[in-house]
Amino acid sequence: MRDHKTIICRCEEVSLEDLVRTAESYRCSSRELKLRTRAGMGQCGGRTCRALVDSITQKCTNDSTPHDIPLGYQAPIRPITFSIMGEKKDE
Amino acid sequence: MSKGRIIDHPILGRLDEREEVHFTFDENKLIGYEGETIAAALLANGERVLRCHEETGKLRGIYCNIGHCMECRVNVGNQKSVRACLTVIQEGMEVKSGRKLPTPFKKGETQ
Amino acid sequence: MIDVIIVGAGPAGLSAANVCAKNGLKVKVVDEFMKAGGRLLGQLHEEPDGTWWNGIEEAKKLSEDAQELNVAVECGVSVHNIKQEKSYWKVYTTKGDFKTRALLLATGAAETSLPIPGWTLPGVMSIGAAQVMTNVHRVRVGERGVVIGINILSAAITRELQLAGIEVSSMYLPGKNIVTEDAAKPLSTMKSMLKVASLAPSKLIRLGSYFMKYESLQSLAVRFYPKNGMKVWGMPVHLRKAVLEIVGDKKVEGVKVAQVDVNGEPILSTEKFVPADFVCIAGGLYPLVELAAISGCPFQYIAELGGHVPVHNENMKTPIDGLYVAGNITGIESAKVAMKQGAVAGYSISMDLLKTDVNIEDQLQQAINHVKQTRNQATIQFHPDIHSGREKIHASFKNTLRTDI
Repeated sequence: MRDHKTIICRCEEVSLEDLVRTAESYRCSSRELKLRTRAGMGQCGGRTCRALVDSITQKCTNDSTPHDIPLGYQAPIRPITFSIMGEKKDE
Repeated sequence: MSKGRIIDHPILGRLDEREEVHFTFDENKLIGYEGETIAAALLANGERVLRCHEETGKLRGIYCNIGHCMECRVNVGNQKSVRACLTVIQEGMEVKSGRKLPTPFKKGETQ
Repeated sequence: MIDVIIVGAGPAGLSAANVCAKNGLKVKVVDEFMKAGGRLLGQLHEEPDGTWWNGIEEAKKLSEDAQELNVAVECGVSVHNIKQEKSYWKVYTTKGDFKTRALLLATGAAETSLPIPGWTLPGVMSIGAAQVMTNVHRVRVGERGVVIGINILSAAITRELQLAGIEVSSMYLPGKNIVTEDAAKPLSTMKSMLKVASLAPSKLIRLGSYFMKYESLQSLAVRFYPKNGMKVWGMPVHLRKAVLEIVGDKKVEGVKVAQVDVNGEPILSTEKFVPADFVCIAGGLYPLVELAAISGCPFQYIAELGGHVPVHNENMKTPIDGLYVAGNITGIESAKVAMKQGAVAGYSISMDLLKTDVNIEDQLQQAINHVKQTRNQATIQFHPDIHSGREKIHASFKNTLRTDI
């Protein structure tokens, strides 16, 4: 009812309505849901909405929570500048 | 140092006297205290709005306050996207709120 | 080469660091926050015996011990990647890259969101954000606010806001949608509060103890829940009202609240505006596992522990060589349990790195017993079935090793 006004991914401003509609029409995995809607692809790397996206996937596909983490993590897991990434300093 | 701060606390006691730190937020001169984060100093000065969404322009402020959500990101001097909640203010620091960015390639937009 | 790098200077990380350093290991602790202590920093509650648990003091003690033991505690440093090499771990941080023989992940927990319309407005923050602002930074989050989400964490932190002189006008359920529904049901919310009430000090959660009287009549209690809420520390807690929307132009101005039926469905004719200049969202905690996930460590989803947790055993070892975990990354529990788990990890690492010392093995066993004792005596229990959660994850460690062979 208020789902179009309910933002799930704050970074990319993806609404609950969009996510549910996408999950229902494609009956897809969390990863596909993320790629189709951009939910979880913003600045925070999905730290705020990852669990919500997973729960939408599960509820729309009637799956139980898998033991493997549905939305994988990739390095860098924190925002860093290219200069830090390019640095080669070992201690 | 009264404004916006919890000076006396029944269990934690009285807040220590601290050195003033002068900084700016979008060119407004503000005063914070040594050791405070940008987020804390701005909130104490009544500034809740830290940026707007780059595409939609919707306003944002502090959300998680521990560096996870990135909602409080501001520009500090030449550095972009600095987390206000994890960055301590320094004397003379120039903090700028995040602004709306153009979206020239977005479908259906005239601008 | 460093002997041990610990990610997270909270109760688990610092306790582990101090044990490792006492055993003569060279230890470095890194943390993203500008002060050591992690989630201890905000904690403030009254114990059943009337004394106060002051997290800031606890953090100070741990930090002072660390300093005396020459532990290098570096704050304001973020770890963005870890990689396992042949005989060591490489830890990539925003202040340089380091090699270490053992790596302990003590990254704690993050907060679960309860998305409702308007929750992106400035002035809406997670309840943990308000806790840090109030007790650590000593800055007022507002004059008069509301809390959305009724659980043990939100009850405890709301009390902390009140102590600091910040008015919380009410605690409400979140408006019901597909992702908030578990937190939006009056009956399940009451049941979860009931389960913790028997373990919590009476002053901490009077709400729960009030409901104890209704144990056999819980659904009736929900049905006849007073319209004006029930007062806890003078503040109304509403199990039959939900926030449907947070409203404001440039920042929070208030919330739209409606009565809900016993299933959490709003009765729209009852909608009312409640003014507020801040709103706290309290969805609970889940283990923060990013680094464990990129390390290749296997995971288990265990609801009793708060979500996906890296597989580990009672010694806080993961199935990956040289990788250890302690604290809330292993499941949501109180800071006291995290401290004891940290000590276990410290002895475990010491034993693995200093293979010759037999004393450490006894100390490790003792430390494991301390974890169990602390868990049994915990005044704050986030999940009533924590013991079964722990058994599941330890069993999964044994199974992982078995399938490897």
